[in-house]
Amino acid sequence: MTEDLSTAIVELDADAVPIIVNRRIDAGEDPLGILEDCRRGMTLVGQRFQEGEYFLSELIISAELFKQATALLDPHLAQSRGSEATGKVVLATMKGDIHDLGKNILTTLLRVHAFEVHDLGVDVDPSELVEKVREVQPDFVGFSSLITSSFASTKEAIEKLQEAGLRDGVKILLGGGVTTSRLKDHLGADFQTLDAAEGVAFCLGQAGRG
Amino acid sequence: MDSEAMTPDERVWAAIRLERSDRTPVIPTLLPEPAAGLAGVSQAEVANDNGAAVRAVFQVFDEYGGWDNPYPASYKPIQLQAAGIFPMRMKIPGHELPDDVPYQLDEVEILKPEDYEKIADQGFERFFQEDFLWRISDLTPEELPKEMNDMVVGGGLFLEECAKRDRRPLFLGSGLHPFFTLSLMRSMVAFTQDVYFHPEPVLRAIERMTDDLIAERIDFIKQTGIDVWLFTEERAGGFFFPPRFFERFWWPQTRRIVEACWSEGIVTLFHLDTCWDKNIAYFRDLPRGSAILELDGTTDIFAAKKALRDHVCLKGDLSAALLSVGTPDEVESYCKRLITEVGEGGGFILGSGCSVPPTALPDNFRAMIETARHHRAA
Repeated sequence: MTEDLSTAIVELDADAVPIIVNRRIDAGEDPLGILEDCRRGMTLVGQRFQEGEYFLSELIISAELFKQATALLDPHLAQSRGSEATGKVVLATMKGDIHDLGKNILTTLLRVHAFEVHDLGVDVDPSELVEKVREVQPDFVGFSSLITSSFASTKEAIEKLQEAGLRDGVKILLGGGVTTSRLKDHLGADFQTLDAAEGVAFCLGQAGRG
Repeated sequence: MDSEAMTPDERVWAAIRLERSDRTPVIPTLLPEPAAGLAGVSQAEVANDNGAAVRAVFQVFDEYGGWDNPYPASYKPIQLQAAGIFPMRMKIPGHELPDDVPYQLDEVEILKPEDYEKIADQGFERFFQEDFLWRISDLTPEELPKEMNDMVVGGGLFLEECAKRDRRPLFLGSGLHPFFTLSLMRSMVAFTQDVYFHPEPVLRAIERMTDDLIAERIDFIKQTGIDVWLFTEERAGGFFFPPRFFERFWWPQTRRIVEACWSEGIVTLFHLDTCWDKNIAYFRDLPRGSAILELDGTTDIFAAKKALRDHVCLKGDLSAALLSVGTPDEVESYCKRLITEVGEGGGFILGSGCSVPPTALPDNFRAMIETARHHRAA
């Protein structure tokens, strides 16, 4: 078993990750340093994914390992948190669609890179989304769609953002199985992908961390 | 009017046999949900009444001038659940959803790790009917026979409507791939973890389901009198898994199933959602003419044509987004490209990528059907 946390995440070593995290917590290490090693591992996973060496299944597994590690770290991070977020993101699956598997993967991957993510869940009303955007002033608003039934509510939400004067302050992302570049043009979004890692790369690039 | 020298069946089977036909056949995957959208009927109506589902489909069929083979579309979603076709919880319009929203599959972790061994020991059918169905369904055991009977009656109605129009369904038998079935029952993340960290029970369950499918399904397909069956998979391809998993959990079992069907003259219609670019070459190992690959617009169908030319038929692949937000000119232009490039030399059926979406625009749907009628492949 590897002793290196980043390596354990890259190698998808589900046994090693919690053991190493707990050992380092018990040794009194700075939890932010432990979290940084987890992020380093996830960044390497992301690179391997971009290079075609890793697949979506490996992103899913590593994201679960990251969640497991952060759950162990969370009680200890409360006192030492304070680093600035990379950016703020509001995510939603809009009214008419209850699917969230892809959105959940994106949420975890964005958190890996220290984005502050506000996940509104599924079947979200356009007005609720607009209110959230008004409240948190995000850099990005992401819409997830697995079926076309949510297109109309996504369009309505974007129009309401425009009417409320909130559209120009955000980049709008589309993701999910039925989205295409044609849909991006139709809705006036800024970015579309079927690939969560590509979505994260876009956000990092926009945030000047690419 | 362009002349047509073949019957719809002759045209479709020419494509399946990789022969030239008088024109490219067109078969949209028109299920009750998009039919409701195009016919102006509520989603609640078609989801809760077999007769309404069939009527909506044939209303659209007639209004748009018909197409070569209708897709079987006589079900209520709850019956798909009860029959194990979608072994998941569901939300139904008129019940958990508003009347105007199509039914949705609610993927949650219901199958437990210990259940893989139960499936391997008991077989899927017994496990599902005696145990799993009652974890996911709101039906009571007393209500089940009536729903199954209604499904059979709805199927009869569907066949009557086909016969009135001198058409045969593309297929009547169908099933999900064992790998996909287990992923849906267990949910995607947990199943992926099982495949990586506890593969043996998963593999034993898949092998047992494969054996059962070959032993039981082929007879049923033969009884339908239509030598095509629908076989659905969305999660085993290179979009999700590395080749080493595909080669262990999917391809050998798939090949066994297809070859067993083919030995009885049955063609397997693969419904392959998500991107299969990294797996397309494997399908060359299947017997020539034994399969149709129905692609959803995310796999590169033009590259697939090059890789599988004169080996298996391709079907697709107008995306849900194009049919929902594109223009008729865009649909026509893309259909012409498909017919010209993928239909070149035969072996192609024009259709929607996955199902026609419930939000398809009428003029876009019409453009797909009309372009197939009038544009000729080289």
